[in-house]
Amino acid sequence: MSELFPRKQVMGFLFSLLLTAVALAVYFFDMSYAAGMTILLVTAFVQAGLQLVVFMHAGETKDKGAIYTNVYYGVFIALVTIFGTLLCMIWGYV
Amino acid sequence: MGFFDRFAVPHPNPAIYASMVAIGLTVIAIVAGLTYFKKWGYLWREWLTTVDHKRIGIMYLISALLMLFRGGADAIMMRAQLAVPDNTLLDAQHYNEIFTTHGVVMIIFMAMPFIMALMNFVVPLQIGARDVAFPRLNALSFWLFFMGAMLFNISFVIGGSPDAGWTSYFPLAGNEFSQSVGTNYYMIAIQIAGIGTLMTGINFITTILKMRAPGMTLMKMPMFTWSSLITNVIIVFAFPVLTVALAMGTLDRLFGTNFFTTDNGGMDMLWANLFWVWGHPEVYILILPAFGIYSEVISTFARRNLYGYKSMVASMVVISVFSFLVWAHHFFTMGQGAVANSIFSITTMAIAIPTGVKIFNWLFTLWKGKIVITTPMLYALLFIPLFTIGGVTGVMLGMSAADYQYHNTMFLVAHFHMVIIPGVVFAMLAGLTYYWPKMFGFMLNERIGKITAWTIAIGTLLAFMPMFFSGLDGQARRMYTYSASTGFGVWNMISFIGALGLAAGFVLIVYNIYHSIRYASRDIGSDPWDARTLEWATHSPVPAYNFAVVPQVDSIEAFWDAKKKGHILFKGEYEKIHMPNNSGVPFIMSCIFFVWGFSFVFSMWIPVIISTIGIFACMALRSFEEDHGHYISVEKIEETETKLRGVS
Amino acid sequence: MKIDHSLPLEYSTEENRLKVLGFWIFLGAEIMLFATLFASYFTLVNRTGNGPAGADIFEITPVLMETIVLLTSSFTIGLGVHAMRLRNKKAMLSFFAVTLLLGAGFLAVEISEFVHYVHIGAGLQTSAFTSILLTTLGTHGAHVTLGIFWGLFIMLQVKQRGLTPETANKSFIFSLYWHFLDVVWIFIFSFIYLKGMM
Repeated sequence: MSELFPRKQVMGFLFSLLLTAVALAVYFFDMSYAAGMTILLVTAFVQAGLQLVVFMHAGETKDKGAIYTNVYYGVFIALVTIFGTLLCMIWGYV
Repeated sequence: MGFFDRFAVPHPNPAIYASMVAIGLTVIAIVAGLTYFKKWGYLWREWLTTVDHKRIGIMYLISALLMLFRGGADAIMMRAQLAVPDNTLLDAQHYNEIFTTHGVVMIIFMAMPFIMALMNFVVPLQIGARDVAFPRLNALSFWLFFMGAMLFNISFVIGGSPDAGWTSYFPLAGNEFSQSVGTNYYMIAIQIAGIGTLMTGINFITTILKMRAPGMTLMKMPMFTWSSLITNVIIVFAFPVLTVALAMGTLDRLFGTNFFTTDNGGMDMLWANLFWVWGHPEVYILILPAFGIYSEVISTFARRNLYGYKSMVASMVVISVFSFLVWAHHFFTMGQGAVANSIFSITTMAIAIPTGVKIFNWLFTLWKGKIVITTPMLYALLFIPLFTIGGVTGVMLGMSAADYQYHNTMFLVAHFHMVIIPGVVFAMLAGLTYYWPKMFGFMLNERIGKITAWTIAIGTLLAFMPMFFSGLDGQARRMYTYSASTGFGVWNMISFIGALGLAAGFVLIVYNIYHSIRYASRDIGSDPWDARTLEWATHSPVPAYNFAVVPQVDSIEAFWDAKKKGHILFKGEYEKIHMPNNSGVPFIMSCIFFVWGFSFVFSMWIPVIISTIGIFACMALRSFEEDHGHYISVEKIEETETKLRGVS
Repeated sequence: MKIDHSLPLEYSTEENRLKVLGFWIFLGAEIMLFATLFASYFTLVNRTGNGPAGADIFEITPVLMETIVLLTSSFTIGLGVHAMRLRNKKAMLSFFAVTLLLGAGFLAVEISEFVHYVHIGAGLQTSAFTSILLTTLGTHGAHVTLGIFWGLFIMLQVKQRGLTPETANKSFIFSLYWHFLDVVWIFIFSFIYLKGMM
């Protein structure tokens, strides 16, 4: 039975629950906007990386170069789109 | 309102009634012709169900040429209306519809399928593959594009065309100012075609990354394949933005949401923003394959290797990233401050650098080359000076402070036509002429081809150069008429003459095809241009399996080195070849998509629900289906090869 | 069809390897799809018109339930793929079944949340904020719904046909999809709900 629950994935799951709990701090404690956003950014991106490596096996084949390039490129363009949009739609007017 | 009233055209005129009759007669003629010549079975077996990348490429090509004439007819009507001051040929509404459909048809239903046609036909051959990675998905991509195009094109006879411009800015495109179903057509037809394009992107990236012939490392890929790879990367990351924007626009129009409205917090500028987050990369999606074609053509007819291969690749990789960083230059005048505008101004000017690198690489390839002026080469040589005019005016527009002067004038219209026509259209015509013998086994007439190239080039200059001047004088784009006192009359008359020249050029292309089908020699061998890359190493026309033996590559110009340095491309014996089976599902599923889209346009919810179920049923069917393809036996390959060798 | 027995079943044929890479690229496109929704959300989040703001309508309990359920389902499908690699068909199907049940549980909570929003006057048409909120959540929810049907089809195929290179490949790709939905949810949880209630 225990072979069905590999240590790496169980630890990954526990760690992701821990990250969720840490993120919840912004709800339960009073803190500045900057501190709250820092916590959320760190926990969310660590959580995403965890899923990618531990659960999605992104690095296990010869195509890992292509897969990681694809993901990093996507995340980069995604961030550019989000922050660029905010620049053009909100921040750019101040 | 009666049920059928909704299908009426809101602003009918004799031209539209004539089109209805013409469409009706054409459909009857096609159906009657297919029945009379007993071609239904042939059509179904060989074309509608095909998953062969070469046939899909040819279907893209036919669609692109058809759409070129649809968009071209719109263009001629616009130029005719503006040719003289105070003209009454078209009314304002009709003019609005025509510039809208001209833009959408030319970009999304002409230029896109044209590059898809060449990519589909050429890329697998150029990398020595038997087909694309997902042949059936490829068929689905084509049919979704085709149904999207048809849905968009029936708009002007059923329910009315979109009339808010090809950018379809809100609030103009919202329910308040665009009451007809036209903008629904825009949102949904482009959505359907866009899904097809996204799947093509995924398909070709996988194909190019995983299916290259042994020995062909990334840095030994031909330049057109490189440009296709980069283009498809941009497609995959840009088209989802359009998908979301169109979905939000559809929700606003049909379900009363408040994304782009002017009250309840809606923000119309967000549409412009999202549209150009997709729209600017889209420009590079169009131009990069064109650059790839020029690289092949110039290197072939300068009879030497491409100068600066690595810098060509690097410049495209840089463009792929930068194309996502410049979009706000399309709306410098929307009111954001100097900081935001300056950032996008700088990135815009920066992207001119990799493009300039490419221009110089072509010039250095020509330098000391033994130039042979064929029709494709003539297009490439005409492209360089004309495109530079478009490019330089682009840098002018990219300066945000100066842009306040040029914005929304004919100057802008002249700029993007001088980029897209020499950049994309010339390249597609060069590619068409260049790859025609590979597709069909005979060449297009060179003399008519060169006359065509000159006609189109002169037509382009005549049609668009005057717009730079009238634009700087203050002629706004999308104005349906102007008074004589503005002094725009003479410029617009010259433009009209240029547009007629372009039309003459496109008629010459059709005549050339007809002439060549009748008179051209079929005995041209497999390599009529003395070319350099793998696609010319197999027979013309290409057998279904592309290469009887998978080629072994060990240089950038594999075929040239095989010819000149005695490298052996094809090592080993014939083996049985695994090929994918044909399938009717992509075509049927796309037909259901058409019904879905049409019902959606008119808010007919019962057919929408039924066709949605149909679409999911097709997907479920695909999930459960077991299809392992088929094998072509060694005897069959030998037979085909002997036959083809006899011809060539 | 050449089968390479040194690799896990889902990678064992060339076609399978193509499909896995192709799906990763599709996920790249999905990143942009959700990024566009997030960009629009952050642009419209304070444009509430006459409707409520996020802080007025978000509740921590259902959101926390959804998060834990989805995180757990991502864990169980990971175990499912692990069991598949051990060629333990029975365990694999059990883990997949648990995953889909958790997915259905997530949907149930989300639907009741939507009903609640509409009930308190935060419907799709209320304001730009509610439009983009419900569209973003709805797009994720629609992905989960599609995933449940897709997963069900794959379970049926594994049950009927056993673990073949094709069914293993489909199951693995489905697991990628499911994990990805979990990743998207993490961002929704952090930057829509928690940021909204901060």
